[in-house]
Amino acid sequence: MQLDARAASELLATMWRIRCFEERVASLKRSRQVHGLIHLSIGGEGVAAAVCGQLRDDDGVYSGHRAHGHAIAKGAPLDRVMAELMGRADGICAGLGGSMHLVDVEHGFLGATGVVGGNLPLALGNALAARVQGSDAVTVVFFGDGAVQAGHFHESVNLAALWELSLVFVCENNGFAEFTPRSAHTVVERVSDVVGPYGFERRTVDGGDVPAVYEACGELLAAARQGRGPMLLECLTHRRRGHYEGDQQSYRDEAADAEWERLDPIARLRDDARGHGWLDDHAIGELERAARTEVDAAVEFARASPFPEPEAARRLVYAT
Amino acid sequence: MTNSENAVLDNERLVWMFTQMLRIREFEERVKRTFEDHPGVIRGHTHLADGAEGSIVGSLATLEPGDQLLTTYRCHGYPIVLGTDCKAIMAEIYGRRDGLCGGYGGSMHLADPERGFLGTSGIVGQGIPQATGAAWAAQIRKQGQVVLCFFGDGASKQGAFHESLNLGSLWKLPIVYIMENNNYNVATRSEQEDANAAAGEPLSVKATAYSMPGVTVDGGDPVAVYETVGAAVKRARAGDGPTLVESKVYRLSAHGNLIAPPGVPLHYPEHEAITVFGNREEYEAALRGDPVPRFRARLVEDGALEADRADQIAQEVRDEMEAAVQFALNDPFPEPEAALQHVYA
Amino acid sequence: MAREIPYIAAVNEAIALEMARDETVLFYGQDVAPSDDDELVKSFGRERVRVSPISETAEIGMAVGAALAGYRPVVELLMAEFMLVAMNQVVNEAPRLRYMSGGRVKVPAVFKAGYGFTAGWAGQHTGSIYGMFMGIPGLKVVLPSTPADAKGLMATAIRDDNPVCYLMHYLLVLEHGDVPEGEYLVPFGEAAVRRDGGDVTIVATGWTVGRALAAAETLAGEGIQAEVIDPRTIAPLDTATILSSVQKTGRLVIADQSTRHGGASPVIAAEVAEHGFSSLKAPIVHVTAHDVTVPYSEPMEAFVLPNEEKIAGAVRQVLGEAPVAA
Repeated sequence: MQLDARAASELLATMWRIRCFEERVASLKRSRQVHGLIHLSIGGEGVAAAVCGQLRDDDGVYSGHRAHGHAIAKGAPLDRVMAELMGRADGICAGLGGSMHLVDVEHGFLGATGVVGGNLPLALGNALAARVQGSDAVTVVFFGDGAVQAGHFHESVNLAALWELSLVFVCENNGFAEFTPRSAHTVVERVSDVVGPYGFERRTVDGGDVPAVYEACGELLAAARQGRGPMLLECLTHRRRGHYEGDQQSYRDEAADAEWERLDPIARLRDDARGHGWLDDHAIGELERAARTEVDAAVEFARASPFPEPEAARRLVYAT
Repeated sequence: MTNSENAVLDNERLVWMFTQMLRIREFEERVKRTFEDHPGVIRGHTHLADGAEGSIVGSLATLEPGDQLLTTYRCHGYPIVLGTDCKAIMAEIYGRRDGLCGGYGGSMHLADPERGFLGTSGIVGQGIPQATGAAWAAQIRKQGQVVLCFFGDGASKQGAFHESLNLGSLWKLPIVYIMENNNYNVATRSEQEDANAAAGEPLSVKATAYSMPGVTVDGGDPVAVYETVGAAVKRARAGDGPTLVESKVYRLSAHGNLIAPPGVPLHYPEHEAITVFGNREEYEAALRGDPVPRFRARLVEDGALEADRADQIAQEVRDEMEAAVQFALNDPFPEPEAALQHVYA
Repeated sequence: MAREIPYIAAVNEAIALEMARDETVLFYGQDVAPSDDDELVKSFGRERVRVSPISETAEIGMAVGAALAGYRPVVELLMAEFMLVAMNQVVNEAPRLRYMSGGRVKVPAVFKAGYGFTAGWAGQHTGSIYGMFMGIPGLKVVLPSTPADAKGLMATAIRDDNPVCYLMHYLLVLEHGDVPEGEYLVPFGEAAVRRDGGDVTIVATGWTVGRALAAAETLAGEGIQAEVIDPRTIAPLDTATILSSVQKTGRLVIADQSTRHGGASPVIAAEVAEHGFSSLKAPIVHVTAHDVTVPYSEPMEAFVLPNEEKIAGAVRQVLGEAPVAA
C-alpha cells in the first residue's frame, strides 16, 4: 500500500487535472461562463486522488456539494464535467444538475448533493446492496466535518456499524462548515471521536500528505474488500478558497492561510516524488502541462456543445 | 417537592417515593382495565409506564420548583408525580371535556405547563430537541432552572438525539438527558437495531461522542436513580452542562394497546418478549423483579415503612384512582364545535 | 419617515428592532453571527444570538422547546428546502402542540428561510415549496415581496404567538424600496393591491409580483388594465380581497413560482371557483413553474419558471385574445 513511482505519477497526474480544472472553473465563473453555486476542491486534490485512485469502477462513491475533485478522480471525463458546469447539452447530466449534482454511473461516481450529509444514507444503501449481492465492491462516501453534527450522520453510522457494511466514511475535516469554524458547531474536535462509541476501524491523517492518505486508505480498503466495515478515514485538510466562489472569506485567519500555502498537497507530493527519485523536474512539468492541455480541450468541447433546448427541461422527470 | 441538595433521603421522603410509585402503578392498571371494564371508552393508542415507576419517581424527586420536563408519549406517570389531578388525566385519556387538555390531545399528548411539564411528542425522539430549546431558555433566565428530557432507547438512534446532545454539550445547557432503556423499541430488541447494544455495551457510551458524561443506573431502584439523576441535575444547575443517564427499566405491559380500525375491540396484548420472541422466561423474570413490590419490601425491611401503613397507602391510592375513573366516565364530552378552537394562539 | 434600503436589510432591521423591544426574542442558526464583532451580538449578547451547526431537527426542535418555555425564537434556516430535513418539527410538532394541549401551550417561533433563488443553484436549492406548509392548521406562511413588507411581516411574525414560516425570496434580497423607520408592522391575512385595474385580476406571490407588475405595464400599452394583488401571506389567506377584485374584473390569472399542483395557486383558484363563480367570465388560468425539478442549465431553468411574458400571455388568454393552449 506504500506509494511507488508509478502510483505517485498517477496521483500527481490526477491532482494536477483537478487543480487545473478547478482553477479554470474559477476563472470561467468570474467571466460568467459558469454560473450558479460552485464549490471548488482546490487544496483537496490529494484526498480525492489518493482515495478514488484505489477504487474500481464498480466501487460506488458518493460525495457532497464539493464534488468536482471526487468525480474527476473517480474517472469522470473532464470535458463532460466542464460541459455540465457550463450548462451544455453534452454535460454529464445534460445540463440538468450542475456542480452539486454530478453523476457518472459508468465510473461509479453515484452522486453529489446540495444537502449537507444528504448522501450518507444513500451510501449506506449502496453498501447494503453490495452486501446483499455478495459482491466485494466497496462504497465510499465523502463528507465534510459540518455534516457530522447532522442527524443523518448519526443514523447512518449506527446502521453501518450494526450491519458491518463495507462502507468507508471519508471525512474531509477542513475545520469549517460554510462560514463558521468547527468549534462553533461542536465541542468534539476530531470527527474520529464522534464515531468512537461504534467501534469503527478508523484513521486520522493529514489530508495534504498524499502518501499517508494513500497508505491509510489502502489498509482500510483491503479490510473492506474482505467484508469488514465500516471504517472512517478522517483527513485533516485546508480549504484554500471560500465556501463558494464569491465568498469574501472575512472569517479566515491570514497566518493560518500562509501556513497552509506551504502544505499544498501537490507541492508536497511533487517534492516527495523528486526526493525518492521517482520523477524528475521534466516529468513533473509534463504532468502539469498534460493536465492544462486536457482542461483546455475540455473547455473547447464545452463551448462547442450547444445549450439544451429549453423544452428538454420537461423530460426525465419520471423513469418510463 | 423538597430541596434535593442533600442526597440522603429521610423516611418521609422514601415513603413519598413509594406512594408515588404506587399511584403510577394503580393509575396505569386502571387505564388497562378500562379496556376490559368499559370497552370503547378509550380510543386510539395508550402506552403504560408500569415497570418504570422507580425511574420516573427517582428522577422527578430531584426537581425543584421552576424545573421543567418534556417526555415521550409514554407520559402518564410524570404529571401524576408532579401533582396534576389524576381525574383530569384520566378524563383526558377518555377524551372528555374536563380532561387535562380538554380532550384535544389524548393519552400521548398530556401537558401541564404550570407544573413544568411542557409536553410530549408522539414521534420518537422529537421531544429531545424541544427539551434542549427549553434548556436554552432556562440558561438565559439564569434562575437556576434545569430541564429533564425523557426518551426511550429507540430514540437514541434518531438524528434528533445526536443533534440535540451535540448542542446541549456545546452550549453547556442545564439539561439532563434521561434515556429510559427498556430494551425494546416497540417490537424490536435493542440488539437488533443498536450497534452498541449489539456489541454488548451500555447505551450510555453514546455520550462520549458529545464529550459529556454518560452513566447507566438500575431504573428499578428509585433511590439509585435519585442519586444518579440528582448528581446530573446538580451538574446542570452549576452550569457544567448535560449528562446522559441511561436508566434501565423493564416495561411490564406491551408497547401499547392493540391498534385496530374502529369496531375492533381494543385491549393490551402480552409483552413482545412473549408474542414476538417467545421468551416467556424473560418476562417472568421481570415480573419477579417488579420494582414496586421490591421497593415496598425494602422499605418495610429497613423499618422506613410499616406494613400496615403500606397497606393503608395502597388502599388510599386505589380509592384515588377509582375516583379518577368514575369522574372520567361521568364527565361529558366536549362540544363538537370546540374542535375549531385553539388552532392559533 | 421612509428611506430606501434593500430587502435583506429590511428583514434584518425588523429582527434587530424586535430583539431590542422584547428580550425574549432569540435569533440563531447556521452562520448567524459567528463573530463576536457582529452587531447583533454586540447589542444582545451571546445568550440570545448564537450560531448553530447544521442540524435542522435540533435547530427547529429547539425553537419549539424554547417557545414552549416562554421565548420567541427566530431560527435562520437559510433555504426553505433545508426545512425538509426537519419536516416533522415544522409540520407535526410546532403547529400542533397548542391544539393538542387544548390551548395550554403556545409555540411563538419564526422559521426563517430563503427560497426561489433561480440563478443556477440547481435542483435542491431552488424550489418554491411553501405549498406544503400552506394547508397545515396552526402554521402561518409569509411571502414578502417588497422591502417594506419584508420588514413589517417579520415584525408581525415575531410578535405572532404561532409558528410562522417566514420565506424571503432570494432574488429580491438586493431590491431597494421605501421602508419606514422604527416600528413598522404589516398584518397577516391582508392582501396588498399593488396596481388597480378593471380588466383582469392577477394574483401573484413573492418574486412573481414584480413580474406581474411588469406584465401589467406591457398590457397597459395594449389597452388592458390589470389589477395586481399580492396576498403577502398565504396562510392566513385574504380571499376577500381577491374575491372582491374578481367580482370587479371577472377574470383571474394566478402567478406563483411553485409547480402547478404544489403551490398557492390551486388553493386560490379553488376558493374563487367556489365563492366567486358567478363573477367569472373566463376560466381561471395559472402561471406556475413546470412540473419538474428546477434544472441547472440557464435556458432550461428560464423555460421552467413563470415570467413576465407568460403572465401577459395568460392575461390575453383569459381576455379571449389568444387561443387556449391545446
